[in-house]
Amino acid sequence: MALGRRLRRLLDLRSLLVHWPWLVLLLALGLVRLSKGAAVVDLYALLSRPFWPGTAQSEWLRQAQHLEDQQKISLLQGQLNQLKADSALREQQGDWLTAAVISRRTEGWWQQLELGAGSLEGLHYGAVVTGPGGVLGRIASVTPSTARVTLLTDPSSRVGVTLKGSRGQGLLVGEGTSRPRLRFLDKDVEVQPGDVVLTSAASSLYPANLIVGVVQTVNSQALPAPDALVQLAAPVDAIDWVRVLR
Amino acid sequence: MGNLPLSRYQALFISGLLLLFLSLASPWWLKLNGVSPSWVVLWLLPWAVVEGPLAGALAGFGIGVLLDSLQGSGLTAVPVLVLLGLWWGQFVSSRRPLERSTTLGLLALLGSLLLNGSYALQLYWRGQSAFAAWQLSLAQALFTALLAPMICSLLVLFWRRRSLRHGR
Repeated sequence: MALGRRLRRLLDLRSLLVHWPWLVLLLALGLVRLSKGAAVVDLYALLSRPFWPGTAQSEWLRQAQHLEDQQKISLLQGQLNQLKADSALREQQGDWLTAAVISRRTEGWWQQLELGAGSLEGLHYGAVVTGPGGVLGRIASVTPSTARVTLLTDPSSRVGVTLKGSRGQGLLVGEGTSRPRLRFLDKDVEVQPGDVVLTSAASSLYPANLIVGVVQTVNSQALPAPDALVQLAAPVDAIDWVRVLR
Repeated sequence: MGNLPLSRYQALFISGLLLLFLSLASPWWLKLNGVSPSWVVLWLLPWAVVEGPLAGALAGFGIGVLLDSLQGSGLTAVPVLVLLGLWWGQFVSSRRPLERSTTLGLLALLGSLLLNGSYALQLYWRGQSAFAAWQLSLAQALFTALLAPMICSLLVLFWRRRSLRHGR
């Protein structure tokens, strides 16, 4: 009975008539919420119009943007030329064979791949293996129909590398993680994240100027010379086919 | 009861071969977040526990040599697997009973840690560092220990049945 009385009082038409402004406000708030504050933002824009940034600044911004675009274009042009030259060089360098990855062990104490091609296909010990993007490693042993690749990330891997533009020579040392460490030979070397790492011309194991990866982080405090972690250009975990220099 | 289709040595040989293929393929669906259990520990433990120290050491030697041949970087697992075979073989006598299947888990945990520790020691001697592999070793030891009570107790039953049937 009490409940019924309370309900009747709640739905009383008279009280509804008295409190209608509150209901309208509630509805308005709901609409604002549903429209993600559209009315509020529009109102703010209308009110703040006199204080918007002047045209001079926008003109200046546009000019800066134009300049930046020009620089980007020239930079990309340069990179494109460089890439064309690199790929032409690589194509000249020899006879590449495509091989399937039949086993991949990239965890723990060693980092190696097995390829589904071997000495019958002309692969030999020490041949360079690359994937889309860059160098993966070298062939450590061959059987007639398979070949075992020691990756750059293997703890036993040591490769002479250089930064693009021959700015710094170093040794790329595998550490069993997905990112090998670049130990520079010089004490004062200008390196920053994003620098491209190439195989060095001084390396007798690899042809020069093959792309290895990109500098990820730099530790300039390391002794005796700075070192850096390198993100390999070729994604080892995702590659199913590789190319081998015969 | 009919004849079992395989003698225990045939079964050992075939399961060892499967183990090698498994370590080569290392399929993603047998990994937990990129970590696979130490299959060789799970394989050697039940055999050694049932067959005794000598058979355990010999099996450890054999599988160690085969695994080394698949691992190109010159590290060896033979000494530690032989020792593990000898140690686990001690549990064949009734003086050291395998009370519960958790014992299998503990043995597998220690075996996996010792195996990875021997690799770390060899890398350390060679002056190479693989610091990150330690983290993976711990994960692998835990995963192996988790699987051991399930897999190894089944395999213990398997080898025991074969061992009784063919007489020792």
